Amino acid sequence: MSFGWNFVARNLPLFAEGAIVTIQLSVLAILAALVWGLVIVLARLSRWRLLALTATGYIELVRNTPVLVQMYFIYFGLAFAGLPLSGFASALLALTLQNGGYIAEIYRAGIESISRNQIDAARGLGMRKLLVLRLVVLPQAFFRIVPAIGNQFVVMIKDTSLASTLSVAELMQAARILTDRTAATYEVFVTLAAFYLVMTAFVTLLLRLCERRIAALR
Amino acid sequence: MPVISKSALPTPIEGRAVGQPMVEIRGLGKSYGRSRVLHDVSLEIRNGEVVAVIGPSGSGKTTLLRCIDLLEEFEQGEIRIDGEAVGYRVEPRGRRVRRPERELAAARSQIGIVFQSFNLFPHMKVLRNVIVAPVRVKGEARAEVEARARELLARVGLADKLDAYPAALSNGQQQRVAIARALAMRPKLMLFDEVTSALDPELVGEVLEVIRQLAAAGMTMLIVTHEMQFARDVAHRIVFMDSGSIIEEGPPDQIFEKPTSERLRNFLRRYHRACVI
Amino acid sequence: MPSVLIANLWLLLGGAATTVELSVASATLAALIGFALAVLQVFGGALLRGIAEVYVYFVRGVPLLVLLFAMYYMLPYSGIDLPPTLGGILVIALYFAAFMSEVFRGAILAVPRAQWDAGRGLGMRSRVLLSLVILPQALRLAAPPFVNTCVMLIKSTSLVSVIGLLELTLSGRQIVERTLAAFQIFGGVALIYFVLCYCLSLYARHLEKRLAYAH
Repeated sequence: MSFGWNFVARNLPLFAEGAIVTIQLSVLAILAALVWGLVIVLARLSRWRLLALTATGYIELVRNTPVLVQMYFIYFGLAFAGLPLSGFASALLALTLQNGGYIAEIYRAGIESISRNQIDAARGLGMRKLLVLRLVVLPQAFFRIVPAIGNQFVVMIKDTSLASTLSVAELMQAARILTDRTAATYEVFVTLAAFYLVMTAFVTLLLRLCERRIAALR
Repeated sequence: MPVISKSALPTPIEGRAVGQPMVEIRGLGKSYGRSRVLHDVSLEIRNGEVVAVIGPSGSGKTTLLRCIDLLEEFEQGEIRIDGEAVGYRVEPRGRRVRRPERELAAARSQIGIVFQSFNLFPHMKVLRNVIVAPVRVKGEARAEVEARARELLARVGLADKLDAYPAALSNGQQQRVAIARALAMRPKLMLFDEVTSALDPELVGEVLEVIRQLAAAGMTMLIVTHEMQFARDVAHRIVFMDSGSIIEEGPPDQIFEKPTSERLRNFLRRYHRACVI
Repeated sequence: MPSVLIANLWLLLGGAATTVELSVASATLAALIGFALAVLQVFGGALLRGIAEVYVYFVRGVPLLVLLFAMYYMLPYSGIDLPPTLGGILVIALYFAAFMSEVFRGAILAVPRAQWDAGRGLGMRSRVLLSLVILPQALRLAAPPFVNTCVMLIKSTSLVSVIGLLELTLSGRQIVERTLAAFQIFGGVALIYFVLCYCLSLYARHLEKRLAYAH
């Protein structure tokens, strides 16, 4: 059985267009999630019990429900309520809300991993809480957070494939269109897998480089 | 403190001529990458003898112990136990080959080792910790082994802790269980690797007492320790190691009162409580 | 008053039952394969280790949806006649086996080296050492992350709705197509998933506290 290279070459533009949308969706979602996650974690760690509990409840909610259901909830819910949101926007919103929760936990783990001793030492030197946060806690927490965020980004890229169920013209959707049109399913899926592997491998490589730089700095 | 009577212990020197060499180490050498950890170490331990190894950290004492128990590989030299070379076999063409795991395990089952961090099996109760090896390694009958284990645990003062998990015991108690566990295999040689270094000071005494009684019963032992007074009391011979080599050895009085090498003198100066210089 | 939700609750619960069946089947299979992969990675020779690592790498770089579609579209073309339910279970199991293998591998490697020393010092050989000393401790260490991976798996079963398996998510979608009460129905669907997953998450946290050893 020979591999249909011609087929792949002919349809590469279609895959590429889909890949671009995938990348757009992923990058926008991770940036938004980084910001939203910060909001959540600040609420989680705040001194007002009600706010902290709400944030905790939010995190548990998004962690224990599937992304697909969240996407459907937003997309169909808004559409039937008369405020239709595009597939892209719905997927973006769902991914942001979900990953914001996970990233909030990453932030929290990073902050709480800084040993109590260092904070005590800093405060013993007379630093006030905000200064301690800025000079001692955040720089170190940052180094622990980066690898986890990188992993979350990889997960996010894979989750964008779910947007195809909302007819978003990303990578997975390109493959679905092609399988409907042609019989070259084998070539389609190999190419599809290859595209995703390249994207995730690229991000993982970038992550390793970052980790090495970080290790060198310490 | 419970007394271990000679007849109650397994008698390792039955049928063995006291004074005959049991362990012969010749030219032992080992490196970790670029650094030389053991350098041309030669040592003899006779039946019924108690040898204490002292020296600064990093002198290779623990590595020596682990090599004897075949927990580490060594590149040069040979170790003979009762005349038989263990660990490696020299092929007809002169190539050195590590023996198969079967033979290594067999050799280890004849040697008892107690570690600094006791290393009890946390998911097993105390009694099971002691009986698991004789039953599953040597294939002994469970009833027999259990009886022996109960006696051993009673002798080390832990008869009431048979059903406890290691986490419920103090460090000193855990170490005594570790000793009982090693003794349950009826070894001909016991190795102790700084077994009191990780203990709270008030718990050290009870463990040293157990070792003292073992020595009195005639067990052949190699003890790596920082407890100078204890080494002086219980050992027939002291070996001083530094930077991977044996610098000096001899009877306790000679080592502690008339040290000849400069390094030993410097080392002893830091433990002035134990010596008379 | 979520009247539409209540009216269709029985249908949703039927879908939930299918979700649970799919999850249990996939999780069991994934655990077995994952455990085998982990053992290969820790104890196997270079070749076996390499194969296991490539497998894990591939699975972690490709979305589950891609694998499900590949199975759904490609198998009929290759002449294999696999019912979609079985195919879905297999794909999810093979996918999560990679995650399970990381959990088990981490757990085996987390058993302190000193435990190996202790067992060997008593003359134990590999088989006895592994079965009596190392693996019991490794399985205890693996339990909390294992349960968390199962939570991930339950959520992932929602993807088989896309290839037509009538589990909870597809049930919800069908009801919404009929009634247009998207917020209510999908809200209910999310709630059912939440109950399933949250209980397991709590159990994982409980396990973490109960099984911790002070080594």
